[in-house]
Amino acid sequence: MLILRLWNYFRGYVIIDIEGLNLERFINSCIENNIYLWNIKRLSYTKIEAHVGIRGFKALRRLSRKTGCRVSIATKFGYPFWAHRLKKRKMLIAGAFFSLIVVIVASSFIYSVDVVGNEKVDEESLRSALVRMGLKPGSNRYAVDLREIENQILIEFNELAWVGIELKGIYAKVEVVEKYIQERVIDKNNPCNVVAKKNGVIDQVIAKNGDSVVKEGDIVVAGDLLISGVVSRENMDPTFLHAYGEVLARTYYEKVITRELTIIKKEKTGEKSTVTRIGIGKLKLSFGDSEVPFGNYILEKNMKRPTIWRNIRLPVEIIKEEYFEAMDIEEKLDIEVVKEEIHQEAIDYLMGEIPEEAEILNTFIDFKEVGDQIQGKFTIEVLEDIALQEKIDNRED
Amino acid sequence: MKKTEAIKKNIADALELPQDILLDLPKITLVGNLQLYVENHKGILEYSSTRIRIFTKSGILRIIGKSLLLKSIVVEEIIIVGEISGFEFLD
Repeated sequence: MLILRLWNYFRGYVIIDIEGLNLERFINSCIENNIYLWNIKRLSYTKIEAHVGIRGFKALRRLSRKTGCRVSIATKFGYPFWAHRLKKRKMLIAGAFFSLIVVIVASSFIYSVDVVGNEKVDEESLRSALVRMGLKPGSNRYAVDLREIENQILIEFNELAWVGIELKGIYAKVEVVEKYIQERVIDKNNPCNVVAKKNGVIDQVIAKNGDSVVKEGDIVVAGDLLISGVVSRENMDPTFLHAYGEVLARTYYEKVITRELTIIKKEKTGEKSTVTRIGIGKLKLSFGDSEVPFGNYILEKNMKRPTIWRNIRLPVEIIKEEYFEAMDIEEKLDIEVVKEEIHQEAIDYLMGEIPEEAEILNTFIDFKEVGDQIQGKFTIEVLEDIALQEKIDNRED
Repeated sequence: MKKTEAIKKNIADALELPQDILLDLPKITLVGNLQLYVENHKGILEYSSTRIRIFTKSGILRIIGKSLLLKSIVVEEIIIVGEISGFEFLD
């Protein structure tokens, strides 16, 4: 019956009290005159309560005079009464209208700009470029041409492959995708040298084109010439070649890790003091005594941000700081355990450094105890290709 | 009057027409003990929260119950809600 109720609400109805002696006769004459009464309730011997529509009520008054019953309104319900009351309060309507306008206008501005997806391109330069093009906090969302800005950004930043700007309410999200820059490969027709990529000891040189200038056992540093693209023979002018080949060399990856053998642990004594603060932006207000009564303590911070709806949060933080009184306790660590930890850490680090195709030849581990510290030195010797092609610049032709 | 009634009844029987329409009899529907629909009534005679009397073609219909309420009342139908304990026809 929700439909009926809604209908009644929009038509408007009143709850009336009818007083009289022959109320049944009154109800009957209502039926005859097509006045719809509903929810009729007996209140007392001479009084009933009933619901009646606005139009029905007007007809009812004429009827009540005839039957000698007294009709009085108990409550008015529905939209017409409400609208009537509202008509008298013009300022209220004006205020509601005004606040609606304010909300609409306020939500047409961009409040924050987010840049995501950039790794190599500097965020600041991207942002300043966006500001120059008109996309900044405070600009009107209808005034900025997003597609145009996207194109301009693409033109300005060569490193970007794609730019997408999306407006989510008052937030602008600028998503960028960077170009994947391939390693420079020199064209086959261009003459070049092969130089060393890293420091190492030459193990094997396979010169497929060009003259090898190093031999097994030579120590080279990064940038040293390995295979020359300038070939000169007797009775001939030097010719320039596109030198290439593989140069296998032993290279060394090293990592030194130092650790303390005794650590100072803080242990709670059980004493506690709590400070509550309210933070609005950078401003922080503290309540009660904010002095910490302990010299040595452990601080546990607890931040809460009241959420309004989904992830819209109030800019107010409630910070609860709990200070626990603490005592220092020195603890000796087990040397073997520390060694194991260092080892694992070093291996993890070095494995990230070594190229995948390299072949591991040897691993050297050296532990040294210096006073209260332990120092672990890890060296991994690998065999890898250190050849790198480099253009010959000083060509004289 | 009695004769026309009898003829009407015979026609209704022969043609299997619903008698409440042809003979203008009340049709009473009871939903549990909560709601009572009376169609084809001839007016209300008494109404209080424990007793309601309605005039119909088959006599006076008396409904007894507790906290009775006239949910809706129009020319052809009365809806009574409340705790209905019984109803009967009186002459």
